[in-house]
Amino acid sequence: MSRWFSSSASAGPAPAAEAHPAAQDGSLRKALLRTAGREATMLESQVAFLNPELLQADNLVGEAAHTLGAALRTLDRSVQHQHHLASEVQVAMAFTIEGGPADATTPADAFNAVSTSIMGTLDGFVMSMMDISKSSMQLVAEVEDIRTRSEQMETMLGELSEIAGRTHLLSLNANIEAAHARRYGAGFAVVAGEVSKLADRSTNLSSTIQEQITGTRQALERTDSHVQAIASKDLNIAIGAKGESLKLVQALEASNQRVKELVVELEANARVIEEQVGHVVRSLQFEDLVHQTLQACLQELDNLMAQALAWRALEQRLAAGDPEAASLAALEETLEGIEATRVQFRAVKSNSLAAGDVDLF
Amino acid sequence: MSPCILTVDDSSTMRQMITFTLKSANFEVVEAGDGVEALEVAPGKKLALIITDVNMPRMDGITLVQRLRALPEFRFTPILVLTTESDASMKMKGKEAGATGWIVKPFSPEKLLEVVNKVI
Repeated sequence: MSRWFSSSASAGPAPAAEAHPAAQDGSLRKALLRTAGREATMLESQVAFLNPELLQADNLVGEAAHTLGAALRTLDRSVQHQHHLASEVQVAMAFTIEGGPADATTPADAFNAVSTSIMGTLDGFVMSMMDISKSSMQLVAEVEDIRTRSEQMETMLGELSEIAGRTHLLSLNANIEAAHARRYGAGFAVVAGEVSKLADRSTNLSSTIQEQITGTRQALERTDSHVQAIASKDLNIAIGAKGESLKLVQALEASNQRVKELVVELEANARVIEEQVGHVVRSLQFEDLVHQTLQACLQELDNLMAQALAWRALEQRLAAGDPEAASLAALEETLEGIEATRVQFRAVKSNSLAAGDVDLF
Repeated sequence: MSPCILTVDDSSTMRQMITFTLKSANFEVVEAGDGVEALEVAPGKKLALIITDVNMPRMDGITLVQRLRALPEFRFTPILVLTTESDASMKMKGKEAGATGWIVKPFSPEKLLEVVNKVI
């Protein structure tokens, strides 16, 4: 039994000449009123369905646009902050070293400056070591010279010792001969001659030894000079290198500390960006939600159009003189079909873009 | 080798958002536009997880879950339903079909990754 037009269940056109029973007893008017009332109820229901659906779509689009706008503004600020931090990292790494290259403006320049400085220090050490080696060789040669001269002096001293002994003997002989001078004057003269020769040799040797000693003293002075030069250069280089190394280490530590701070700030900024990207991902899902909502609206609009066409058909039937009851029955059938296929539940429940629930079974 | 996840949704925007989120966590992602395409794509792939929508043309998500569970290859593969549907009755249908979990759209990337890492 039709619930739209219960007093007349027949469908399809009726013969024009045949009067419908409902028309005869006035129930046709009642049926028409009832059908109109029910149609009005369905229209109200459809409007009631469409209204929140469209409001929901409006809310979702509005919220998505607002969230996306806010997220993009925050992202823009975060990206600018990121650029600023990156520049600071560069500046922190482009430290300058007192007394060294001061024109480093990029991390690469800074590290090149450090590298050049360290290489310069190492070159200084190498050159110093070569000087030390050269001086050492000279020192060894001088020591060898001293040793040779000492050996010569020892030989000479041995000769002097022999001369001294023989002079002593001659002296004794001279004394003996002197005692007999009167009788052996000729012998004394021979001895005296030998003593004279020995005295000459002794004098020459003393002179030579004096020269050797002078040479030895000069060699020792030069050796002393070399040793002092080596010691002085070594110490000065060591002190200078230590100072340069200390400056480098301090500069590197300061730079490293600042870079650490900036990296922490960069990480915090990256978290802000990540959070904003999350907002963007969540907000962009409005397309799916609004799409489903609008699909439901479109389906309901199709229903409304079908209803309008059904009423238009009634109008045309009545204008053509079709029996009222049959025309109403046809209308009723169409409307029942529409109502039966209507989807009245809302597929999208969420009215906002807040993240939905999660259930693990 | 990164775990591979199949995501099934008729909305290209949703697929993009899901893929973006999963790839940011180093997952490999395979996409399908509905249940029918998912059943064509899935076999032979070592899928660590399947994420599917419910309301899709040709084959809905609940039917897809049932069909996948009927395949020995996917009998124990975690399947998450990601949908606008939040009715308890619909959730029950998903559970009975063999779904592992139910996530109501819209999802937050952080929460999705948390659930994915929990069920994989």
